[in-house]
Amino acid sequence: MKEMGKSPGRGKLPKWKEEELEEVEYEPRSIKDILIEMKNISELIVDLAYSSLLFDNKELAEEVKYLEARMDTLNYEIRLIAMMAARNKRDAERLTAILQIAEAAETISDAAGDIVDIISLKLDHPILPRLIRESDETIKKLVVSDKSKACNKSIAELRVASETGVRIITIRRGKKWIYAPKKDEKLRAGDIVVGVGPKEGLDKFNAFLEGKTEGL
Amino acid sequence: MSEEEAERMLLDLKEKAELMVDLAYSSLIYNNKELAEEVYELEEHIDKLNDELQKLAIEDAKKGELNLNEALAIIKLATSTEMIADAARDIADVQLREIELHPILKESFLETDEIFLRVTISPNSILRNKKLGELHLASETGMWVIAIKRGDKWIYDPGKDVCLKENDVVFVKGNKEGKEHFLALAEGREKEL
Repeated sequence: MKEMGKSPGRGKLPKWKEEELEEVEYEPRSIKDILIEMKNISELIVDLAYSSLLFDNKELAEEVKYLEARMDTLNYEIRLIAMMAARNKRDAERLTAILQIAEAAETISDAAGDIVDIISLKLDHPILPRLIRESDETIKKLVVSDKSKACNKSIAELRVASETGVRIITIRRGKKWIYAPKKDEKLRAGDIVVGVGPKEGLDKFNAFLEGKTEGL
Repeated sequence: MSEEEAERMLLDLKEKAELMVDLAYSSLIYNNKELAEEVYELEEHIDKLNDELQKLAIEDAKKGELNLNEALAIIKLATSTEMIADAARDIADVQLREIELHPILKESFLETDEIFLRVTISPNSILRNKKLGELHLASETGMWVIAIKRGDKWIYDPGKDVCLKENDVVFVKGNKEGKEHFLALAEGREKEL
């Protein structure tokens, strides 16, 4: 509430907000690529949004905001391309179906954004303290340090799943997202990794990614 | 609303919302009306659930069991879940209304690495009458079960003790590479995990 009176300068905006305000450059991508990314985001963002609430995790909430901003950009791009692609009535009709799906994907990400806003309601205690204590599985955002031995090794090489029980659901590399990464995907310094798994496994994986341990 | 009830509610909403989104896209990918109809069914169900939740939150706030912010959180959560459910229905609607699909659509979605399958467990399947915990499907096939439809009943995010039965309709998610293996197992063509 303290923040409300201030009018923050651009430098004080959260990163995801900056992304939202950035001017959309028209880069010719195919409708297909955009649609695949929109589908991936809408599936991932629902999971992340409820999870951030369940585990009272503000870092995950921030990722949701990033994805929401990305989705806005994609929806804008797809509308631009669709309009330019329609040459006749039949084209237009078929493109309408695509826009209906894109619009729905954006609604999903907006709803996910609203869900994580609930965290800022300043609840006396997280809605679900019990779950945080007792659940055997949890979700965590991890950062790959440049000191970590994980750099430039693939998920398969590191045997993440068998050594820690952790499943990597997404990797963010700067502005690029890798959804449901494949086993041969290599981790790089600075990668943001979202993993789901048992608490001990996540802690072990985290220590390794931070460069505190030599191996898994 | 006790902590336990709140916990169950939030998990329930999460599972249903995720499933709806998966089902909706899958109805397009596999050109499957049945899946689209299931999305409609789930959407009605979620609507009812959300109404109940909102009433419950108001009642509990009146009784003083929840403070205003807590009640507001639950009401907002219900509203957002409804938004997701409606959006999933809009996606399934493209399938049901027989809008001519752009070839791009199918092509795009078939190219994603993570896939979603709907399979019926055959009487000859070795998966039948086994607990999910003993099958280790995720590590053996790279696919995991996210929901089971048994008759009219849904089991969301089934635990280790749930047994697969013949004629169960299972919804699985996972890596593209695991698809054929899993299908063969469920349909009884493959007898080894």
